[in-house]
Amino acid sequence: TPANLGYTPPDGGWGWAVVFGAFICIGFSYAFPKSLTIYFKAIQEYFSVSYSEIAWVSSIMLAAMYAGGPVSSILVNRYGSRPVVMLGGLMVGIAMVTASFGKSIMHIYLCVGVIGGFGLAFNLQPALTIIGTYFHVKRPLANGLAMTGSPVFLSTLAPLNQFLLDSFGWRGSFLILGSFTLNCCVAGALMRPVHKQIKPKPNAEPPKSNGPAHEKAATEDTHAQSAGLLAEQEQSRSSRSQGCASKFVDWSLFRHRGFMIYLVGNVIMFFGFFAPVVFLAPYAKHQGIDEYSAAFLLSILALVDMFVRPGTGLIANTKWIRPRIQYFFSLAVAYNGVCHLLCPLVPGYVGLVLYAVFFGVAFGMVSSLLFEVLMDLVGAHRFSTAVGLCTIIECGPVLLGPPISGALVDIYGDYKYMYYACGVMMLVPGIFFLIMHYYNYKKLDEEERKRQSEAMRMRSGLSVRVEGEEEHVKMSQVDETADEADG
Amino acid sequence: MECTWTGNQNKLPNITGYWKKDGNEIDSRLTVPLENEQYNLKGVFDIVGEESLGNYSCVFGSEAKIEFVLAAPQMGEVRDKPIVSYAGDSVVIACKMEEPKPKPSTWHWYKANGTDKALIDAAAEPHRYQIHSEGGKSTLTVRNLTQADAGFYYCGAVYLISTSLGRLEVRVITFLEPLKPFIAIVVEVLVLVAVILLYERKSKKKSITGSQKTKKEKRENSGGEESSSVRQRKV
Repeated sequence: TPANLGYTPPDGGWGWAVVFGAFICIGFSYAFPKSLTIYFKAIQEYFSVSYSEIAWVSSIMLAAMYAGGPVSSILVNRYGSRPVVMLGGLMVGIAMVTASFGKSIMHIYLCVGVIGGFGLAFNLQPALTIIGTYFHVKRPLANGLAMTGSPVFLSTLAPLNQFLLDSFGWRGSFLILGSFTLNCCVAGALMRPVHKQIKPKPNAEPPKSNGPAHEKAATEDTHAQSAGLLAEQEQSRSSRSQGCASKFVDWSLFRHRGFMIYLVGNVIMFFGFFAPVVFLAPYAKHQGIDEYSAAFLLSILALVDMFVRPGTGLIANTKWIRPRIQYFFSLAVAYNGVCHLLCPLVPGYVGLVLYAVFFGVAFGMVSSLLFEVLMDLVGAHRFSTAVGLCTIIECGPVLLGPPISGALVDIYGDYKYMYYACGVMMLVPGIFFLIMHYYNYKKLDEEERKRQSEAMRMRSGLSVRVEGEEEHVKMSQVDETADEADG
Repeated sequence: MECTWTGNQNKLPNITGYWKKDGNEIDSRLTVPLENEQYNLKGVFDIVGEESLGNYSCVFGSEAKIEFVLAAPQMGEVRDKPIVSYAGDSVVIACKMEEPKPKPSTWHWYKANGTDKALIDAAAEPHRYQIHSEGGKSTLTVRNLTQADAGFYYCGAVYLISTSLGRLEVRVITFLEPLKPFIAIVVEVLVLVAVILLYERKSKKKSITGSQKTKKEKRENSGGEESSSVRQRKV
């Protein structure tokens, strides 16, 4: 796994404050659009529009959030996480305040939907990216903790929004929510750019420190790591030149084996990921369960989710799971599928409660690992660009999934076909991941073995021509081998 | 309306049956025979107007009573929490007679005036009130709200026999009310951001002075090497 960051991440200290900031940003990004649905009825009556017209606000917001992904990645690559998050928080705040004065439904679409959605995109990506810069050893745990923001915020925003609506109507509520989302700027303030300490290994710092760093490489004992050093320097150079290339799209990611596996599996998976959450309450009501008990099922789901996410992060961090974390993720995805396939078989409220618990575990596991496995595959350097590409491509299935599932329910008049379909759409990617990652791990091990043998060859004095090098290092390398040959 | 009773243990051949409306006996008592193990009592009533509505019950002897409620269609769930709106803004309140209940012939809107209800005439004040009724749904729009517009409003679904009422409450507040928590939270955000950034600047200064010290030590240790690298850089 590419761990060549070029510096040693702190893995703690201020990192935990950054995790807290990321927790807030991720919480807002995922929970805010969902919790706004509480205002829909009031806005619908005020502007005298139909329900589908008001539901567009959710879709526009989600679409803007996903479309903003690549833009967010480019900005983060250029300026770092902090300014982007603070800009995002400001955007959402201004969007909500402007919307509170809106005179037509179009204002709501533009303010809440477009600007709000982009603002949230500028919160999500940087939050995920900065965790990769602060953590390596404890990264799965950090990711799991940060992703817990989503269920926690959803549980608190839902009753809060209801309270605000009853006290201030939808206009006043939007105004207050506008100020509330400014707390993303506080989270952004916490996202201090990581201090890249110079360790025995030379690092990817700005050119002025290259001189003494390479000197150190020559004088210190780096025999065993020489091959690794070269790989790191190439990577660090490519990451600096990436600043120019990543102005647009980093097409090289599409040739990255791990990334493609992740992308293909995810696209299929997202068709069936969110729909069961959306339809849990309607399915319960369809079975004759009253509205409050149906809503309680969602609360159970959120509560289980809240604890499973950090728990999964903790488990994924253990020395048994971490090296083969992709298998863990594949099993989690497949487990989701199994849950959905079994759901129609357990009727009654007790069955649904059991399903809510098991699904909560499944949903939490996948959510916790979702971005950790991507970081594991492409490395922290390219994560920002990778996640931007992922979100814009996953935009399609995420938006289409629930309506397609809804259509299945309408056509057959029964929810079980929808659950079977969702189950299959999760189980197939799960198995796909298992097979493809087995193959991928084998290939990665082969490449690692090749690299080790190259390093051994160089140690034994064979001249290896490595291209794209700076004069300094070549000379120091030749000096080293020459010394050894002499000695 | 028709009542059927299977009787009790002593299956008497005849039993008295009569109708009651709102607790009072109406019509004369009848003798109901036992036919096919059942007693059957049928009553035909003309619905003349609102007086015809009420609680009807058929009574068998002194033992069995079945109740009917004759009423105009009632509105289902009407919002019991007040609708909050702003002075100078407008508010839209709606009433619905949902399917499959029969649609009223027309809708009326009233504003509560103490214990009275004053009919709202949208035609007389078109810049203030607007009523839009369509079958089973009706909306009232009140523009240029003032504190006087706050209170209870009644929507009436008008049927030939009676009018069904629904009650809604409108609250009017000024923009200053949500502004207070808004400003409080903005202040909180500004304070937190300032504190975090100031703390960071402080700890950076500390680490800069600290690293300057270690750099000095290193320069003392490496001596000539450093100066040679500096020379190289200049070249």
